[in-house]
Amino acid sequence: MSNAIGIIFANSGSDSLQGLALDRPLAAVPFGGRYRILDFALSSMVNSGIRTIGLVAPRQYRPLLDHLGSGKDWFLERKDGGLFILPGVMHGLAGNNHTLCIKDLQHNLEYLQKDYAENVVVSSGNQIYNINFMESLEFHKAKHADVTLIYKGNDDSSDQTNEIFLEMSEGHKVYNIIDKKSLESRIPPPSRFVNMLIIRREVLLDIVEKYSSIGCIDLIDIFSVNLEILKIYGSPTCSLIGTIRTLKDYFDRSMDLLDLGVRGKLWLGTDQIHTKIKDNPPTLYTSHAKVSNSLIASGCSISGEVINSIIFRGVIVEQGCKIENSIILPKCHIRAHAQTDYAILDKSVIVNGDNVLKGSLPNPLVVLKSTVI
Amino acid sequence: MKQQECVALLLAGGQGSRLGGLTRNRAKPAVSFCGKYRIIDFSLSNCTYSNINTVGILIQYKPFLLNSYIGLGSAWDLDNPFSGVHILPPFLGDSEGRWYNGTANAVYQNYEFIDFYTPEYVIILSGDHVYKMDYNLMLQFHKEKDSEITIATIQVRNEEASRFGILTVDEDARVTKFTEKPLQPDSNLASMGVYIFNWSILKQALIEDNLDYQSENDFGKNILPQQLKQERRVYGYNFHGYWRDVGTIESYYHANMESLREGHFLNIFDPKFRVFSNEDILPPHFVGSSAEIKNSLICNGCIVHGKVTNSILAPGVYVGKEVEITDSILLPYVKVHKGSVLVKTIVGENAEIMRHCNVGSNGGTVPNQEGITVIEDYHLLPMGSIVEAGENVTRTR
Repeated sequence: MSNAIGIIFANSGSDSLQGLALDRPLAAVPFGGRYRILDFALSSMVNSGIRTIGLVAPRQYRPLLDHLGSGKDWFLERKDGGLFILPGVMHGLAGNNHTLCIKDLQHNLEYLQKDYAENVVVSSGNQIYNINFMESLEFHKAKHADVTLIYKGNDDSSDQTNEIFLEMSEGHKVYNIIDKKSLESRIPPPSRFVNMLIIRREVLLDIVEKYSSIGCIDLIDIFSVNLEILKIYGSPTCSLIGTIRTLKDYFDRSMDLLDLGVRGKLWLGTDQIHTKIKDNPPTLYTSHAKVSNSLIASGCSISGEVINSIIFRGVIVEQGCKIENSIILPKCHIRAHAQTDYAILDKSVIVNGDNVLKGSLPNPLVVLKSTVI
Repeated sequence: MKQQECVALLLAGGQGSRLGGLTRNRAKPAVSFCGKYRIIDFSLSNCTYSNINTVGILIQYKPFLLNSYIGLGSAWDLDNPFSGVHILPPFLGDSEGRWYNGTANAVYQNYEFIDFYTPEYVIILSGDHVYKMDYNLMLQFHKEKDSEITIATIQVRNEEASRFGILTVDEDARVTKFTEKPLQPDSNLASMGVYIFNWSILKQALIEDNLDYQSENDFGKNILPQQLKQERRVYGYNFHGYWRDVGTIESYYHANMESLREGHFLNIFDPKFRVFSNEDILPPHFVGSSAEIKNSLICNGCIVHGKVTNSILAPGVYVGKEVEITDSILLPYVKVHKGSVLVKTIVGENAEIMRHCNVGSNGGTVPNQEGITVIEDYHLLPMGSIVEAGENVTRTR
């Protein structure tokens, strides 16, 4: 399936996630025990056979490049194609709502121009999913579509963040693109667009050229005014877990991972999510370990109690500790008799004995990187 | 090609028949160890840390899984442009070329490979020991002593000495005597199977040995004693650290189990000397609400709903509800279904234990292989099966 190249907008905005996205871009925020948010979009594209992927880089790209390296762990270190970092233009504009911004593409036109691929798969970089795009690509080609927008096939997940909806005819041809405000009570209920799409490369180049004079404009906005001219179709997916825009999204989506159905969609199929390999040893459970309903990564040493939590790589949980409903990022050290409840500890936090860190479900407590308590 | 100072030759061709079901489908160096590793990871990682980046891996017995595991050597940073890892199978030449007939013969047949790099030293490594060692320190010792052959040695327990090649050294560490598996050992310094030779000396020794039709072409049995007889400068480099031969079911089992003890010597947790491996891409392991894990090592991709005590679960293992795993080693992708009980058992890769089986809890009066039960790779143990302690179950599919 190599007649498609990919573009991931790894500069997708978010709030600072109460500190988790302060020193690092959202795409580089650790998620799921051993991944970073970008890994899901990147792996999905790679698993779909796409071997040339451009990442629109966020302002703070150091942590991202540190994670990606040359792309070897995602099979993107290659002669033909590979990983390309595309500098984004939205610098310092916090609160910008453009997810798939034309200006970023315009700035990196050469990436689109120099390839011979017929199609481009575009995705935002702030979503958790494991989607193989081959099916949608086949559909896109069969319909001779100019654009195929991916929508949520079943809206049973707890995530309701995406706010653009599609109205389609029988053959999945999109005749209307509306936002949440105009939603009212349409029958049948419109489908939720999930910021992923397939577009013919020529069409994309055309769009970028035609709209180059206008400042920042989102691809989806361009589509909504060109519905008559462009052949736009919709293709469903059921493997989207959610979008991360706020701390609550982050916490809720993380806890979703404790559900077998969610893990099944993300990790138990044939397509795996790739990430940087760290060569950690297996996790050691001592005689005092008491773990229940949790996701534990490698290289940890568990001697305490862990319930309903996500423990990342290299964490030490000493005897007498109680970790509940929490997310503990890499290399944290929870000393004897410390307790956490609804807390998110960023990397390398040390919690000394007898301290209690307590947040709540609507308001988890975030402890910043390398803090010593 | 660029000249290298030292080229490593890793002997990975043997069958390892004493590991029974564990090596019936793969060469011994490819056998899983401590969950996520494979035995060969240790020798290869040692090469990486010692900056020895030209490694020839001699293979013969069932090499496919080992070869695919090694690949280009990228997992150990050994995929360099001018050196790197080379898999060396037996081959046909114009007049010679035959199966390898002993460790020395395997090296002898590949002298062209070594000549290609024109090294000054050659280090011979066995691919089936588990240990962490900086070979540069040994090379330094070799140079300091102006040695022609250096043998790495380790002290073993007196009761065990007859299993190894035993050396006697003088105060200057010069080897005065070497006996392979002596009935009455007069020292407890064992050969680790790691040798550094000056290439010129090794080449000569191999040529001579090849002409001797009575020779078994083995380093320990033939080359070393022969060179000693010729009064070569042979020295013993005493290694202090963890080293285990994992050639039998019992020693394999104990070496794995030792790593469950905190503060263990091998210290696979040492971040300064990580052991690299070609790990599969798997998510973090999931521990269900009915699970109880104690004193165990759990790898990525595992799903645990039962009770696991004092055991090692390799990557991708599934442990169902009401399952009890005790003192056992479950190799990659094993599945144990609801209600089964396993005690002191090694379960081979991809094997599946159906529901309500009872493995290893009942034994005869004199348990075979210390009561350690082994189930071969890929075997499907039917529902309700009972396997006695010490039994070796072979695959049926």
